[in-house]
Amino acid sequence: MRDDPVVIALVRRAAAGDQAAWYEIVDRYAQLVWSICVRFGLSSEDIDDVSQSVWMLLVESIGDLREPAALPGWLAKTTKNECLRVLRVTHRHAHAGLPSEDQMPVDPDAVVIDEEILRAERDAALRAAFAELPPRCRELLSMLMRDPPCRYEDISATLGIPMGTIGPVRGRCLDRLRRSPHVGPFTGGGETG
Amino acid sequence: MKNSGGDEERLTELSPGWGDEELLDALRQAFAARRAVPPEFVQAGQNAFAWHNIDADLAQLTYDSTDRTEELVATRAQEEAAIRVLTFTCAQAGLQIELEVQEDALAGQILPMQSAAIELQTKAGTQQPISADEVGCFWISPIPSEDFRLRCQPVAGNAEVVTVWVRL
Repeated sequence: MRDDPVVIALVRRAAAGDQAAWYEIVDRYAQLVWSICVRFGLSSEDIDDVSQSVWMLLVESIGDLREPAALPGWLAKTTKNECLRVLRVTHRHAHAGLPSEDQMPVDPDAVVIDEEILRAERDAALRAAFAELPPRCRELLSMLMRDPPCRYEDISATLGIPMGTIGPVRGRCLDRLRRSPHVGPFTGGGETG
Repeated sequence: MKNSGGDEERLTELSPGWGDEELLDALRQAFAARRAVPPEFVQAGQNAFAWHNIDADLAQLTYDSTDRTEELVATRAQEEAAIRVLTFTCAQAGLQIELEVQEDALAGQILPMQSAAIELQTKAGTQQPISADEVGCFWISPIPSEDFRLRCQPVAGNAEVVTVWVRL
């Protein structure tokens, strides 16, 4: 696991009682908790149950995390444990006896969970980097991110820039994104400046 | 190692250095993944911070008679199945909370026996104050139909305890 200074700072601030830092932690990693619950095939009721428990456990142990940078791994492990707990309870209530093999949802293996961690971290880094771009870049990239992407004619009209400059501006904006300290660890570069 | 297909490929492909198209695509997916998470899911997680400043010790569910009911059902007539009893234990605070599920109420008992201010909290965000008398008895009526937990503040001033969430 990388020692992401952003995560370490968030964990320290939240542990010290900074609510904004906590909100940001949840905002960054809700995707991770959610995606693991979905991998376990939980109902929306059970997902609520799991997430309540996970965040409550984190609130209680955030000051004791030995490795703040390992937060995503901690969250993934805790979410997985809570999913298994909820599934055991659900099955116990639904069936008098033990669930048969085909009634038990597939337990996502460690590889899948690791992949979700990596993806959640990468997505969070991209969103954080995007949020720090100049407003013009954010507007342009937002329009290009739409599915289907906005036509250059519309972008030109909305942003008031000539069509011919959209390509180069897009390149510069993406370059800023690529050079962001958030994204660096994922591109293998980690350049600064 | 198992390769679970497209998703993993996408991740490894992107790591060495991203071209413009790949980067834009990754950005698009990052926002799509975020949008897939319901706002109320995020909100609930953020609300959990309310518990940060509450110095309550967690009481785990250490006994649920339902665990044994399955065996009982297998060996006895159904009507003999015992009344459901749950026990929450907080070793740290040296406190137990027992809940007996009766027909239309929950009968609670704090051990060791002591009076306490209890708060019934539901996931929907409701809070209901309940008192436990000097021998630690309390009643919850009606029986909560959704997830709930109990926060217990012993009158003697001992550490506050909160149970895990439970659904009956």
